[in-house]
Amino acid sequence: MRTTISGGTIAALAVILAACGGSSGSSGGAPTPAPAPAPPPTGITKPEAFRFLNQATMGATQVDADRVIAVGYEAWIDEQLARPASLELPYVQSIPLPQNIQDLHRDRVDVWFRNAVNGQDQLRQRVAFALSEVMVVSQLGALGNQPYAVASYQDLLVTQGLGNFRDLIEAITLHPAMGVYLSMLGNQKPNQQGTIRPDENYARELMQLFTIGLVELNLDGTPRIDSTGQPIPTYSQPVIEGFAHVYTGWTYANAPNGNFLRAQPLPANQVVPMQHYSAYHDTGPKLVLSGVTIPAGQTGAQDLDAALDNIFAHPNVGPFLAQRLIQRLVTSNPSPDYVSRVAQRFNDNGRGVRGDLAAVVKAILLDAEARGAATVSTGKIKEPLLRLTQLWRAYNGRAADGGFRAFASPSTSLGQGPLQANSVFNFFGPDFAPGGEIRAAGLVAPELEIATEYQNTQVTNTFRAYTFNRNSRSVGLPADAIVINIDAEVAVAADANALVSLVIDKLLAGQASATLRAEMLNLVGRYAATDGPNRAAQAIYSVVTSPEYALQP
Amino acid sequence: MSAESTSRRDFLALTGASAASFLLARPRGAIGQMVGGSGPFNDYRALVCLFLFGGNDSFNMLVPRSTAEYNAYLASRQNLAVAQTDLLPIDALNPDGALYGVHPSMPGLQTLFAQESAAFVANVGPLIVPTTKAQYAAKAVALPPQLFSHNDQQDQWHSLRGRALSDTGWAGRMADLIRQNVANQQLATNVSLTGNSLFQSGADTVAYTMGATGPLAFQGFAGLGGEQRRAFERIINASYDSIYARGFAEVQRRAVEAADRVTAAIAQAPPLTTQFPTSSLGQQFQTVARLISVRDRLAMQRQVFLVSGGGFDTHDDQLVNQPALLASVSACLAAFYAATVELGVAQSVTTFTQSDFGRTLTSNGDGTDHAWGGVQIVVGQSVRGRRLFGRYPSLALNGPDDVGGGRLIPSVSADQYAATLARWFGIVDADLARVAPNIGNFAERDLGFLT
Repeated sequence: MRTTISGGTIAALAVILAACGGSSGSSGGAPTPAPAPAPPPTGITKPEAFRFLNQATMGATQVDADRVIAVGYEAWIDEQLARPASLELPYVQSIPLPQNIQDLHRDRVDVWFRNAVNGQDQLRQRVAFALSEVMVVSQLGALGNQPYAVASYQDLLVTQGLGNFRDLIEAITLHPAMGVYLSMLGNQKPNQQGTIRPDENYARELMQLFTIGLVELNLDGTPRIDSTGQPIPTYSQPVIEGFAHVYTGWTYANAPNGNFLRAQPLPANQVVPMQHYSAYHDTGPKLVLSGVTIPAGQTGAQDLDAALDNIFAHPNVGPFLAQRLIQRLVTSNPSPDYVSRVAQRFNDNGRGVRGDLAAVVKAILLDAEARGAATVSTGKIKEPLLRLTQLWRAYNGRAADGGFRAFASPSTSLGQGPLQANSVFNFFGPDFAPGGEIRAAGLVAPELEIATEYQNTQVTNTFRAYTFNRNSRSVGLPADAIVINIDAEVAVAADANALVSLVIDKLLAGQASATLRAEMLNLVGRYAATDGPNRAAQAIYSVVTSPEYALQP
Repeated sequence: MSAESTSRRDFLALTGASAASFLLARPRGAIGQMVGGSGPFNDYRALVCLFLFGGNDSFNMLVPRSTAEYNAYLASRQNLAVAQTDLLPIDALNPDGALYGVHPSMPGLQTLFAQESAAFVANVGPLIVPTTKAQYAAKAVALPPQLFSHNDQQDQWHSLRGRALSDTGWAGRMADLIRQNVANQQLATNVSLTGNSLFQSGADTVAYTMGATGPLAFQGFAGLGGEQRRAFERIINASYDSIYARGFAEVQRRAVEAADRVTAAIAQAPPLTTQFPTSSLGQQFQTVARLISVRDRLAMQRQVFLVSGGGFDTHDDQLVNQPALLASVSACLAAFYAATVELGVAQSVTTFTQSDFGRTLTSNGDGTDHAWGGVQIVVGQSVRGRRLFGRYPSLALNGPDDVGGGRLIPSVSADQYAATLARWFGIVDADLARVAPNIGNFAERDLGFLT
């Protein structure tokens, strides 16, 4: 609630005191606090603050930049860690059940944008978004008719994404959204004849995509090499089968008459952890990682605990997760040393705890490689969804009711949408390298996998619609239209220089290339000086479709 | 301008290519590295790859119907088996001792086969060398990395040389090899209707990506007397310090350059009487047919199109989901073939399927898991149709082809499959190993399904 305060600690203190004033109404005699001592200057510049916020939030804004400049990076993170999570499920549950339950996904996407654009828990939102691109579930597929499950899964990532990783993997493992998406839900023990055996889907992807990856890693994320120069696989097919046997016997809670095979998704049971039905659990021994065998005769819960402990203890988890989260938050190509520093923090948060995600995220964002000078290959491409949320955050984008329900199909407009990946492999892969100089340099640029000619054109056109055709001066719009507020721009629009500077200030922290600035002036100058709305829209459009805005430095 | 842009300009000056933006910059010394003896060409040929994402359970697509073989199938597949009497019978001109049928949801494919316009290649999959069950068990031969994993096996099909999203694909390498002999083409050799793919990624060339219904125009670019577009181009053509910003600008540059030309060409496409399914896959195939119909306008001589369908990862509810998936494949292949007949190019266009892997013959209750070899379909008038190529495997659990759970060792390799298609496309024998790097490990360099 305090992020709306700008102007540093003095103003914050004043508001807190006012809020805690105790007496009802304004007495007129509110005590005037003695001026607090000025905090030591952080020395953070506005471009530096924007860079940090584009890593740590759903889009840098002036207000947040002021706060970062006032208190510094670490204190800002600590403030964020103390904030409660902005949730989706209560909102989705508040919507009357439509005739077609699938329509509730529009409300789910609506509240996703409400939280992404206006939530005060920006760090939670950004980390949850990052995790949602690693531990993927998607509305597309079997979850199309389970919007509550998907909303609840997002809430899991927002509430536990900065907790402990061991708790997080247990929560996602037992979440029915994941159960449905990777078919652990309803997975049962083998039959006698050997013609039915446990489903291997979740067993494989939990390890391959969410926790340890395919090959053994050094602490710095580089592959370990055996004596013949080959990478070393982390697991074999028998290990997959071992884990597949572990994950037997789970389905929706409260199946009718306890009937495992007839459990169906209901609004209530798709948002609570799956339940174990022991008759469908395999009780034999199970081979897992690192040569460990889980003994026979345990309960499903005991097997699960042992299996997740086994994965959590694998030395790959730290470097694997460090690499993934650094790529999602900061840069496509972290140095091995950067990965190593973050992995060490995963292994031990400094107080002997393994898997402390808040410590990991802090290590990622405060690292010298995240904060130091930019080079040719630091940073990353900002994915289209984040380009849009940054615009809407900077320009107070929203419909009259505060919502975003009119933004109905982000996966068409942007090539991606909240929990709308085409597969568990996310919108793009972590090792995508486009042909040309990026590949030739041995670098990757994951976000460019969806930056095709077609999709880039689509995104460019989407930005045209949401600048020229959807702004606070547009007329004749439907009531639910999402508009950006360009009033401040229109007010100065007769002065092209002032307008261009204002837009560059809000979106690029005042830093634009000479070419971009010159072309903005050129284009703005082609509208009549009195045509404020088109001048303003033009200036914003030119920035948000530019390569420098697409870059997260 | 950066050094990069300078070398790119020099390179383009050397090649004089028309579809300039689809050629990648390379250092001067490296120019010609991938040029081989394939081409020039005096005809038109196109390959259309239908990628079935997720791993098609193709042993339910082409099923033995003769009693002994069907019983072995039934014993392995149990509750996932297609009923013997439901199979749509086919009769191959080169019988292997068994009789076969196709899945009941694929009447279009049954007809294509009967008309000698389609063939099956049985049990194809990634291999490094010919591999027996004993060799697999003893780890006595090199194997493709990360068998049974989706993205790794997709990559293997796409690249034929190990796991590396940063590698090139075999269609990309074909485009590289012929690029100087198709220099007048107005569009990239590789066109994707379904996003970026390793398959079409070259060292010297890139694919052009459009949507299922074709390219998009940039809205508003005619505005301000065309200045809107010119200013946009000046911005994306500026020099950027960041390698990522440059990569992003490069895509924008290709998009702007090609959109008008391709849109204008497609606008000239004659109406097709062939009706396509309205699904995304049907739209993709329809757009390919429209592009082929304007091939001369774009001076195209060699094209590789990529279309795809998803949802084949049937871990769950296979009996519910698979019929619709296969029905879509069948209907789209039939419609597209009909369109090529209508356009008079059925002999010049060959369509083929690829998929991550086949699936386990055993069931996980209501679905199947990741396996290895599978059956692929080839369609066109250059196909030696109504035949079965390769070898249909034993479907017995723990049989000679099963490495466990009904995961079958491929009888022929993805390299052999690709090499056969590449030769038809015009890649000469001397260049074949650059397309299919493992082909030298196999006696049969051509599986014989194309004339």
